[in-house]
Amino acid sequence: MTVNDLVGTLPLTVVAGQDRLAAEVTGGYVSDLLSNVMGFAAPGSVWVTMQGHQNIVAVASLAGLAAVIVAGGAVPEPETAAKAETEGIVLLTTPLSSFELVGQLYRSGVKGQ
Amino acid sequence: MRRFVADLHVHTLLSPCAAVEMTPRNIVWHAARHGIDIVAITDHNAGDNVPAALAAAKGTDVTVLPGMEVETKEEVHLVALFEKPRQLFAWEQVVAAHRSGRMNDTDRLGAQFVVDEEDNLVAVKEEMLLTSLSLSLNEVCDQVNALGGLVIASHVDRPAYSVLSQLGFIPPGLALAAVEVSRRTPRAEAAKRFPAIGGLPVVTASDAHTIEDFLSGPKMAFNLEAPTLAEIRQAINNENARGVVL
Repeated sequence: MTVNDLVGTLPLTVVAGQDRLAAEVTGGYVSDLLSNVMGFAAPGSVWVTMQGHQNIVAVASLAGLAAVIVAGGAVPEPETAAKAETEGIVLLTTPLSSFELVGQLYRSGVKGQ
Repeated sequence: MRRFVADLHVHTLLSPCAAVEMTPRNIVWHAARHGIDIVAITDHNAGDNVPAALAAAKGTDVTVLPGMEVETKEEVHLVALFEKPRQLFAWEQVVAAHRSGRMNDTDRLGAQFVVDEEDNLVAVKEEMLLTSLSLSLNEVCDQVNALGGLVIASHVDRPAYSVLSQLGFIPPGLALAAVEVSRRTPRAEAAKRFPAIGGLPVVTASDAHTIEDFLSGPKMAFNLEAPTLAEIRQAINNENARGVVL
């Protein structure tokens, strides 16, 4: 499954990284503590968070994540989107709460690792 | 130049999590008795008890610094310190415009008391203070600095509400004067235990919520010409012969 498959079936908006949607999704992770994500998110995961701070881009890059999804209708800061574009990180948003989105991801076949 | 003992992070009974014994008068009285020369009053997202603390300190050897512990929208706690009450007042206006709109739940979170310098109840603060503002970390740092204040990242050694727990590392270019470690980390070991601190100056403070915390908690000792924020800023940066006493 690719990020593009998810974008095609779930209520996700691409904010940055349009050219990287072919990335393979191998799992999922949810946390709003970036220190925790750095330690526990597996490479290839999609990460669901409410944080829109630009540090999410560096964390995603460090952890080798397939995409970051900012949930709950939260709006990533402008610097975050710009940085994601520069660093080649797929940044998505959704109006769904983290809980709803994770439920739909799971049903689509994205599992934790 | 002389040595000043400073506690840069102290809550009063305005903070819902602090004990009612933390009145400005009682804090100043204990500071005077125990050789604590400088006390920053830093309640959560509010500064209403700073005037009482300044009044209580009049005629004593204790200097009160106006301050606030701010919670950003990333749920990062920051200590904002100011030289003058009017700077804090200007900052309070910014904070008031960025509250959640929720009211405090006294039964669950604790009461938020505003008092005068003689411990008389002046008001009960209704807005929920123990929650995030809609201001980002960068916005808080920039605006506090623009008002002449300085920002210290609260308790970066703790697993909650710290810039490191919330954001993993300190964003480059952030206008922080220093990071604070709590009593659980000796200041000298902070940079080794938390490499993400990088080259930022490290301070420690009691983060007192009770008088017992205030008296037993860690403090700084500075060599200063006078007990002012401008002097402390230089001491933190080891400038002009000001400095931290080890």
